[in-house]
Amino acid sequence: MDKNHIRNFSIIAHIDHGKSTLADRILEITNAVSKRETKAQLLDSMDIERERGITIKLNTASLKYIYKNEEYNLNLIDTPGHVDFSYEVSRSLASCEGAILVVDATQGIEAQTLANLYLALENNLTIIPVINKIDLPNADITKVKKELIDLIGFKDEDIVLTSAKTGVGIKELVDKIVEIIPPPSGDKNLPLQGLIFDSIFDSYRGVIISIRIMNGTLKIGDTIKMMQTNATYEVVELMINTPKEVKKDKLEAGEVGFVAASIKSISDIKVGDTITLEKNPCQKALPGYKPMKSMVFCGLFPIESSKFEDLRDALSKLQLNDASLVFEPETSTALGFGFRCGFLGLLHMDIIKERVTREFGIDLITTAPSVIYEAYLNNGDVLTVDAPAKMPDKTLLKEIKEPYIKTNIFTPSEYIGPIMELCQNKRGNYVSMDYIDPTRVNIHYELPLSEIVYDFFDKLKSFSKGYASFDYELIGYRTSNLVKMDILLNGEIVDALSIIVHKDFAYQRGRTIVENLRKNIPRQLFEVPIQASIGNHVIARETIKALRKDVLAKCYGGDITRKRKLLEKQKEGKKRMKQVGSIELPQEAFMSILSMENDK
Amino acid sequence: MEKIESVYIHIPFCNTICNYCDFCKMFYNEKIVDDYLIALEKEIKKIYNNDIIKTIYIGGGTPSCLTIKQLEKLFDIVKLFKFSNKYEYTIEVNINDICEEKLKLFKKNKINRISIGIETINNKFEKFLNREINKDFFAEKINLVKKYYDNINIDLMYAFPNETIKDLEKDLEFIEKVNVPHISIYSLIIEEHTKIYIDKIKPINDELEEKMYYKIIPYLKKLGYIHYEISNFAKKGYSSKHNLTYWNNLEYYGFGLGASGYINNFRYTNTKSINNYLKEKYVYDKQLITKKISMENEMILGLRKIEGIDKKIFFQKYNFNIEQVFDIINLMKNKLLIDDGKKLYIPEDKLYISNCIFVNFIGGSNE
Repeated sequence: MDKNHIRNFSIIAHIDHGKSTLADRILEITNAVSKRETKAQLLDSMDIERERGITIKLNTASLKYIYKNEEYNLNLIDTPGHVDFSYEVSRSLASCEGAILVVDATQGIEAQTLANLYLALENNLTIIPVINKIDLPNADITKVKKELIDLIGFKDEDIVLTSAKTGVGIKELVDKIVEIIPPPSGDKNLPLQGLIFDSIFDSYRGVIISIRIMNGTLKIGDTIKMMQTNATYEVVELMINTPKEVKKDKLEAGEVGFVAASIKSISDIKVGDTITLEKNPCQKALPGYKPMKSMVFCGLFPIESSKFEDLRDALSKLQLNDASLVFEPETSTALGFGFRCGFLGLLHMDIIKERVTREFGIDLITTAPSVIYEAYLNNGDVLTVDAPAKMPDKTLLKEIKEPYIKTNIFTPSEYIGPIMELCQNKRGNYVSMDYIDPTRVNIHYELPLSEIVYDFFDKLKSFSKGYASFDYELIGYRTSNLVKMDILLNGEIVDALSIIVHKDFAYQRGRTIVENLRKNIPRQLFEVPIQASIGNHVIARETIKALRKDVLAKCYGGDITRKRKLLEKQKEGKKRMKQVGSIELPQEAFMSILSMENDK
Repeated sequence: MEKIESVYIHIPFCNTICNYCDFCKMFYNEKIVDDYLIALEKEIKKIYNNDIIKTIYIGGGTPSCLTIKQLEKLFDIVKLFKFSNKYEYTIEVNINDICEEKLKLFKKNKINRISIGIETINNKFEKFLNREINKDFFAEKINLVKKYYDNINIDLMYAFPNETIKDLEKDLEFIEKVNVPHISIYSLIIEEHTKIYIDKIKPINDELEEKMYYKIIPYLKKLGYIHYEISNFAKKGYSSKHNLTYWNNLEYYGFGLGASGYINNFRYTNTKSINNYLKEKYVYDKQLITKKISMENEMILGLRKIEGIDKKIFFQKYNFNIEQVFDIINLMKNKLLIDDGKKLYIPEDKLYISNCIFVNFIGGSNE
């Protein structure tokens, strides 16, 4: 297709602002799917996506649309909305010329939307602002319009009003896509330059690559070369998604599609790499992506030690379409062999854990998430420490630095008080506060990243009755007065439970942790002391009482069958726990060490 | 084929139904009992394989609530079995049913052991148990039994709601006074389908229950009883040979409504429906006991004995050593199991949590 009739765009929206429904309507209006076929949220194909209502993995749909009697090819490249996934957002945006910015008419702009919008502006995309959900009785179109104009500088006449639910404004929106988003530049006669922006593993066809052709033409039978890995493959299939799979003979500059080339080796394909032709290669690779740094680390250990290799396999497969996932083998004295994994954020971590369990059937214990610390040693060496247990002994340490972030917290002004108190309790430094309008503010704090990895987001939501939204950027490392706290069960350090804490909060944290552990570890066969210690100094102690509940029942008439049934039930409960030495630990125990207050 | 030496016969009739009881039972009805005895006789004739029998146990329900005529019929049925020269033949009796006439009848019919359900002498629990409780009357009846029998068991219970250590002490003092050679003492379990379960009675606190258990053991030991099974105590030579059949994981016949038995590698449970039983549809459920399950049962049952499991016997039976089949290293490390070279046993201070030890043997064999 002539590239002047191609439009590549994505949709930027906050969770729940109606992006997926809007995408469905666009598919409908372009007749990509009949109304009958519309399952809710067509583009979200993974189970978890549909259940959580968020888009994790990007997806692409190529749609035909007739505008003023001419046929256009609209490529909708889906992006996830959550701040954790900004790496993937940038992948999507790099393959587009335009983006639709969706704002909920009842909620206004949220912190995460703004973050993604800035990413889009950095990529020089043309933005179409959309106010969605205008059918709702509590929609405040005037106020949201004002936000878009004041905060970002849109013009009133540029703003499209839609209701994805009823279909109002959808046609106007799609027309606008054709009218104002520029067609892709690039030349189909130049040497091939294709950007890999996603990949998945298909058991029958090997790795399937999502590609945006920047220059040149790609045909079936061509031998392609990955510029980073130098791997070469012969193209077997070219496809687009309408959102049914449609085979193509070639893909040209400006187009978006999928490539299958019998690629068996997962490691040959790197998202962000450039594909060219072996015979007529391009001179320069595309800039690719700024690799996202993992922010949060935790250990993943199979409950059954024999599943270690299965876990490796599962993580490799997930990594294929999630380049932001990093992992390396980790050995814990307490938990055995597992992997230390890096994630973009907590949501990302939850999703990976869930996918490993659900799609690969491996039961996991995950250790409490940690950030990366920088340990400055007396001998001048600097170590990066991604697990508390790896922190060097304090006699060797000059200082420890930890990552700090700066927040954008969007909130109605009545919640300023509680939110500031929350930030203060998380070792935050107040920076400033901007009024967006008389009733909404953006609060800026500097906070240690470690303080937000666990329950900050939940707390923020509960302190603001769900109204506050939150986004952050990393602002670098700062020296903090940090110490490693060890947890001892039955007199032995459980390395997987170690934690780095601020010295001033250590005593308080130690007390809370041992109390929470006592509540979260079920009674064992014998009394188990729990201690929190810094160095060799025990700062808090609790005891798990020995298990009592038991049944000294009459074995009636020798009927052991019934007794066995009771024992089998008891056994089921045991299975979900990890044996650490002679103690059985449930998942909750590992997470409870990060909880700042006593669990109920 | 293993030789079967034990017989259990279930008589599921009672004059009153105790609130805590979840055994298979129903109200006494003369006509039904007559029909029941006919069906029972047919069941025995159908299954019994002429083995020499060493122990017989007639339990219930309340076997003693039958009329003299019905009891005579029952004992005639028991005569179908070939008795060994030395045998143990027990019948459970309700304290209210005890009278000279019945005792003489028992004696005449070779019964040599009487088991009496007392449960408690504390009339604070009368309502709770739905039984009349009169300490002096109990003592009188037990003395009457002692005129005819010396091998007597008393069933006691503890851990009633609101029971105190003092209450328990009174029951133990009574036991001391009546001085019979065998005591079974069980904690109250609130089982589903019982009245106390439906009334949502809460069990007593764990710590208190454990305290009671560890009060009972030294008390009875001091009186000269040998603690030979988790819940059973006997003077020397009076341990229940019938119950040891169960704990040694040996096969036995089980006859009667709801009874369970273990024959030819099958464990079975009889129907609990009296209609089906009278129609001679006896067996409700049957399960093949594989070597693997049998070894697990051997552990779960055998470790109920205080002396534990004889390692040599285990090997003779299964051709494996216990350590080859089960991972017991951790249990031993934590002193939950002790190996004295010959026997493997649960130490006294861990008996109370025996279930948590047994759980390790469920599905735990390497076989």
